[in-house]
Amino acid sequence: MTPSLFKGSIAMPKDNDSPFLLDKHKRGLQNLDKMARYRDADVVDLVVVGAGAGGGVLAQRLARKGWKVVVLEKGPLWDPDRDWVSDEKGAGQAGLYWTDNRIISGNDPIEMGKNNSGQGVGGSMTHFAGYAPRLHPSDFEVKTRDGVAVDWPISYWDLKDAFERVERELPVAGEDWPWGDPHSYPHSPHPISGAAYVAWEGARQYGIDMRVGPVAITNGVFGNRPHCIYRGFCLEGCKVNAKASPLITHLPDAIEFGCEIRADSMAVKVELDDATGRAAGVTYVKDGEERFQRAEAVAVCGYAIETPRLLLNSACRRHPNGIGNNADLVGRYVMVQGATQVAARFPELLRMYKAPPPEVSSEQFYETDEDRGFARGFSIQTVSPLPIGWAEHVTAEGHWGQSLREYMRDYNHWTVLGILAEFMPEAENRVTLADEQDEYGMPIAHFNYNRCENDKAIVDFAKGVLMEIWDGAGAEDTLTIDRYAHLVGGARMGFTPDDSVVDASLRVWDVENLFIVDGSVMPTEGAANPALVIMALADRCASLLDRKAT
Amino acid sequence: MSTDQAHPNPHGLRQRKGTTPQMVGRYPDWDVLDEQGHWDEETRKVVLDRLHKVPEITFFDEREAETLKAFCDVLLAQDEEPRIPVLSYIDEKLAGGGGDGWQYYDLPHDTDVWKIVARGLDEEARKDAFDSFADASLEAQVGIVHRFDQGELHGGVWETVNVARAWKVVVRYACQAFYSHPWAWTEIGFGGPAYPRGYGAFGSPHMGEQESWEPSEAYHFDPVKDTQERGIE
Repeated sequence: MTPSLFKGSIAMPKDNDSPFLLDKHKRGLQNLDKMARYRDADVVDLVVVGAGAGGGVLAQRLARKGWKVVVLEKGPLWDPDRDWVSDEKGAGQAGLYWTDNRIISGNDPIEMGKNNSGQGVGGSMTHFAGYAPRLHPSDFEVKTRDGVAVDWPISYWDLKDAFERVERELPVAGEDWPWGDPHSYPHSPHPISGAAYVAWEGARQYGIDMRVGPVAITNGVFGNRPHCIYRGFCLEGCKVNAKASPLITHLPDAIEFGCEIRADSMAVKVELDDATGRAAGVTYVKDGEERFQRAEAVAVCGYAIETPRLLLNSACRRHPNGIGNNADLVGRYVMVQGATQVAARFPELLRMYKAPPPEVSSEQFYETDEDRGFARGFSIQTVSPLPIGWAEHVTAEGHWGQSLREYMRDYNHWTVLGILAEFMPEAENRVTLADEQDEYGMPIAHFNYNRCENDKAIVDFAKGVLMEIWDGAGAEDTLTIDRYAHLVGGARMGFTPDDSVVDASLRVWDVENLFIVDGSVMPTEGAANPALVIMALADRCASLLDRKAT
Repeated sequence: MSTDQAHPNPHGLRQRKGTTPQMVGRYPDWDVLDEQGHWDEETRKVVLDRLHKVPEITFFDEREAETLKAFCDVLLAQDEEPRIPVLSYIDEKLAGGGGDGWQYYDLPHDTDVWKIVARGLDEEARKDAFDSFADASLEAQVGIVHRFDQGELHGGVWETVNVARAWKVVVRYACQAFYSHPWAWTEIGFGGPAYPRGYGAFGSPHMGEQESWEPSEAYHFDPVKDTQERGIE
């Protein structure tokens, strides 16, 4: 497609009226009074577990095809006007983050919660920063190209149309993208802040290309969704309705086509019909009561921790080690991305809290360069912590007492760059069931993580690049925090029942009416934020399923 | 970190407007609370409740509270009034079950970590011949906190936890409580809640561009040099 020419003129999606079903002056969903209500005893066409990036898109696509869909969501159905606040601590108190307990272990235990886990209708996208990059074509064949990990059973070209459709629906704003499969975005790039501008200048000095975007934040007319107001609270839930999440990008349309979103409903077990081996529905807990929703098909869309946990907890006679786990692969090959951040100090007041945290990024180091001594690579992105987040940066370098207070008082002089480093899938990086049970009587997840040598080498190299950028920009000082972001894998897709949990159509091997439609199916993760990828996978999965007679 | 932990600001950053912790701040004539008319109602309620409805301590017993208040004062260099009552917010979170979504396999629940830390701090103070951490001299308190930071607390109740990870837990809770308080926002010049007003002037490409209501910095210290010069690094 030839890009800039069409900007703004091709932006509206054809098969999704969500932006028009919202109200210009109210943020909550406006068509809830029309929402279908199914009974547990009704055999609906599909029950979806999880109303996030995967489940939200799948529900909308199939509702449009005439499927009767019920979406079970553990958390609440948000009204951003009423439930969300422009406040860092208040976002946690509102319940945006999945903070139910999980046990973490390994040489590199991964801290969970607000950074990587969401709950409520819209999933983690309600509090993601907004970066919505595509994977590169190379991501789908890293075994063939680079001799590491595994190839995907599908290629970039199987997802290209889905990427374009979803980008129009979010919509994504950004400059024409030179990396991977070069493409353009439906909305123009947002103006950037002074904090991002110094990073960009530093990168230029060092010979690194950066581009504005890609962010799933409106930058123009888009139905009844307002333009971004650059208030900087993307991670606290967008009260503006400018930043995309399935709550506003897909579920309004799904409701219009007969989908029921059943919030505050925690799925605890996928039930199989013992005689046929087919999924019969999902047992869930709502208002303290255990219930069972019958369905012709089930889609588990709970993400890299909760999807494996639900499958493992669904052991039955035919699947004694958990559904889909006959090859001992459920819960394995979970990946996080190395997300080290380096903050830099400048004499000027930069006030990084203004404008969205995601602004400019680079994918120049994305693919393998043998001179660097490791396989695959990383991307570079601006980020902008608010005060509590900034305190994490300061305390990570050992400051407390007076020096903590002094570095905190200096907040307005700092700006931050982060990396997303592609980590390798490893069998022992896995989710298992712990002894402890949660309030629903379900064993909680135990998540073990070790970085491999390639993972460490990428992060070390990438930190050096960030230091060079800040040096080029004239930074007076830096602070480094080693951290991780995102979660994918745990129910990988593959070529045979022996190498994977689901096939290329995201169907669980051996259970013909059970699908896994979320980030857990990704065999590798690339160096891209996963939201757009998960939505594109859901779009493709839906496109392979039949239209229902209505 | 040296033991000179008194006086968070020997250079005399005196706040003139509103309230900041210990009345220090870089923006002496600015108060973030003056902006509350621009905040949406839900956010204003959450922030003002934090300010005016300080929760009663119910999770910790009296002795634990005394110990941990003294600990938080050292951790956050709150050596005089006005103090942000951080322990009240920490207690509120723990009374509600605590936890931010994870638990290290070699640590108990956050609720137990805090109780263990309270006991451990008192045990350390007794080694220094004080009745409790709260009774210890500032110098002794700072020494204990320094050893906690370095993971160098051993024996007694400290043997039941990974000390370095317990440190991360308490620092996280303390910073969440302190830097969610509007007094701290005024101290550091953070603009605070920003809905529905948003921002138009965010500094690009001309650096230093600011909204009419955003304050200018009255005092400018490079914290790297300053913390070194003052021997508090």
